[in-house]
Amino acid sequence: MTHISLQGVTKYFEGGDIVANDSIDLEVEDGEFLVLLGPSGCGKTTALRLVAGLEHPSEGDIHFDDERVTDHSPSDRNVAMVFQNYALYPHMTVRENIEYPLKIRDVPPEERDERIEETTELLHIEDLLDKKPAELSGGQRQRTSLARAIVRKPAVFLLDEPLSNLDAKLRMEMRTELKRLQDELDVTTIYVTHNQEEAMSMGDRIAVMNQGTVRQVAEPEELYNRPRTTWVAQFIGSPPMNLIGGTKRNGTVELAEGTSVPVDASSDSGSDTDSAPVSLGVRPEDFSVHGDSTDADRAITGTVETVEPLGEFTIVNVDVDGTSVKAKVPTTGVERGDRVHLTFENHDAYLYDERGELLP
Amino acid sequence: MSIQETLDANVDADVDWEKARAILVFLLPGLTLFGVFSVGPMAYSVVGSFFAWDAFEMGAFVGLQNWSETLTDPLIINWDNLLAFTFPMGALPQNLLWMVLHVPLSTVLGLVLALLFADLRGKRILRSLVFLGFTTPTVVIGLVLLFVYDPQAGVFNELLRVVGMEGQVRNWLQEPQIAIYCLVAGGVWVQTGFSMLLYSSALAGIDPSLLESARIDGAGPFRRFKDIIWPLVKPVTAVVVIMGMIWVLRIFAIVYAAGGPSGGPNHVYSVLGLEVFRAAFSIPVEYGKAMVVALIELMFALPLAAYIARMD
Ligand SMILES: Nc1ncnc2c1ncn2[C@@H]1O[C@H](COP(=O)(O)OP(=O)(O)OP(=O)(O)O)[C@@H](O)[C@H]1O
Ligand SMILES: [Mg+2]
Repeated sequence: MTHISLQGVTKYFEGGDIVANDSIDLEVEDGEFLVLLGPSGCGKTTALRLVAGLEHPSEGDIHFDDERVTDHSPSDRNVAMVFQNYALYPHMTVRENIEYPLKIRDVPPEERDERIEETTELLHIEDLLDKKPAELSGGQRQRTSLARAIVRKPAVFLLDEPLSNLDAKLRMEMRTELKRLQDELDVTTIYVTHNQEEAMSMGDRIAVMNQGTVRQVAEPEELYNRPRTTWVAQFIGSPPMNLIGGTKRNGTVELAEGTSVPVDASSDSGSDTDSAPVSLGVRPEDFSVHGDSTDADRAITGTVETVEPLGEFTIVNVDVDGTSVKAKVPTTGVERGDRVHLTFENHDAYLYDERGELLP
Repeated sequence: MSIQETLDANVDADVDWEKARAILVFLLPGLTLFGVFSVGPMAYSVVGSFFAWDAFEMGAFVGLQNWSETLTDPLIINWDNLLAFTFPMGALPQNLLWMVLHVPLSTVLGLVLALLFADLRGKRILRSLVFLGFTTPTVVIGLVLLFVYDPQAGVFNELLRVVGMEGQVRNWLQEPQIAIYCLVAGGVWVQTGFSMLLYSSALAGIDPSLLESARIDGAGPFRRFKDIIWPLVKPVTAVVVIMGMIWVLRIFAIVYAAGGPSGGPNHVYSVLGLEVFRAAFSIPVEYGKAMVVALIELMFALPLAAYIARMD
């Protein structure tokens, strides 16, 4: 079992023109399922390859437990990786593919057979052993690739968007299966994805990445409930959090057109008299939409632009002084052009300062 | 579908004559050319090899006489020298010896260079340099070899002098027992460019994540080559080997340029192509013999070509 630690890891490409990873600090606990989540091109794969040893960091260090592995070759790190494209050896059968890492490590043949049997049963691919990768479906390839990783009993699993090529149904199934597997094997795992639903449902913790850096590392719940920056707030959730510009003064936030919303000003009452530009963040699902006037403390008034019924819920787009605000409600009677009030609870409101940092 | 049904479907299928005619029309130009320039000459040689020839005029039917005369001609096979392994052994054994040396050498060298250049920065330039040998006309290669091995001005002898082996300096292409190997070296240089290029593109076609995956699985460079790279470039090896064999079978210009129509002193590096040329175009003209030698060449080359053509 392995604890992984990245300290100030930076990776340049093309002589420094491209900064793929920018001083990443990250701790992955023993047996943890950590998800690297971020938009395309943010450096997730690069981070994973650095941990695998396929790339050498330009700066910084990587430790497995107390051992510095920065200069170790991939084979010395005892990691197993599932590549985004599975990287199955096309000229070998499923059995030979799974057997290969064992063969390389001189595991005796009887034990190999045993472990292959065990693993293939676990992944339900025991009927495919004599097929070549080209004869497999995407899901079967992926499971073969997983089997090749698992059979080694490695110290660390590195999974690079392993579910991205699957259809929705298979993806759901594999998500559960993978999570169960990881629980069962209890191997430290880093899982890369740009699908936040996947991240939320699978990760013990999620590291949100953007432009080569880790923006926030937190448990899924906390990431949703306390996004530390506006960027993270807007990245997590669907549709993303609404951000409405305003000014904070005397314990209230004054939005444009005279609307003001009281906020808890307990923490920084000392600077009450100062005004500061802030963004008020409210998640669409935390809004209630009222057609009539309401006596709630916290209400924003606007005009309905569009109503999108999506079956399970309805998205109401409201124009508030030129800012489009989304509300996600179970049902609604409002229509385009209606004047509506959006109300929310105090604990559902987030305030971010000018730099986009969450105010306490 | 049952066997019976399949049969019925095929036998009873209406032939679309309209379509068949269209296909034929489109095939006609190609087939005509193929007939005139490939099948025709072959058939002509096969028939002609059983007749007596007066220069280029066909005479009486002589049965296997051309064949037996050719196969007992010491210029084609010199049995005594062959058994003693001293040159000249005749064009056929010499040609085959050339093939046995040339093909493995140029194949392995091409693969090694392709592997070496794969991860190198200046690989484009290096590849072009090596491939230049293949693009150079073979006559020029022969002349270059003549120059390289020249006793006075030759680069090779100069090299020997530089490393202090003056005793070895000689006119390499005039040494009966060594000359053919010197020429083979030149041929290998040519063919290496070709095999390197094929291997390079085969290597470029290997998904790099396969090799990375093998590294993570714990495979060192040798295992990665043996288990991943080699199996994946094997189809290319078949092409390289067979093209090399055919190339050697048809070799002519290098030998002619380096050793003239006799193929070196006392024919020590004469090859089949050269014998065809001499039989057909030097006095006395032995057209029947030329046909026989050409047919022998063809007998080696045809199955090889067929193998390549049937590969998928
Ligand atoms: N070998 C390389 N040479 C040059 N630039 C590279 C290399 N590898 C990655 N990059 C660059 O580094 C940045 C991060 O790439 P990376 O593959 O890590 O992104 P990612 O988060 O995995 O994206 P995706 O979700 O699309 O897979 C990109 O801008 C990419 O162009
Ligand atoms: Mg990626």
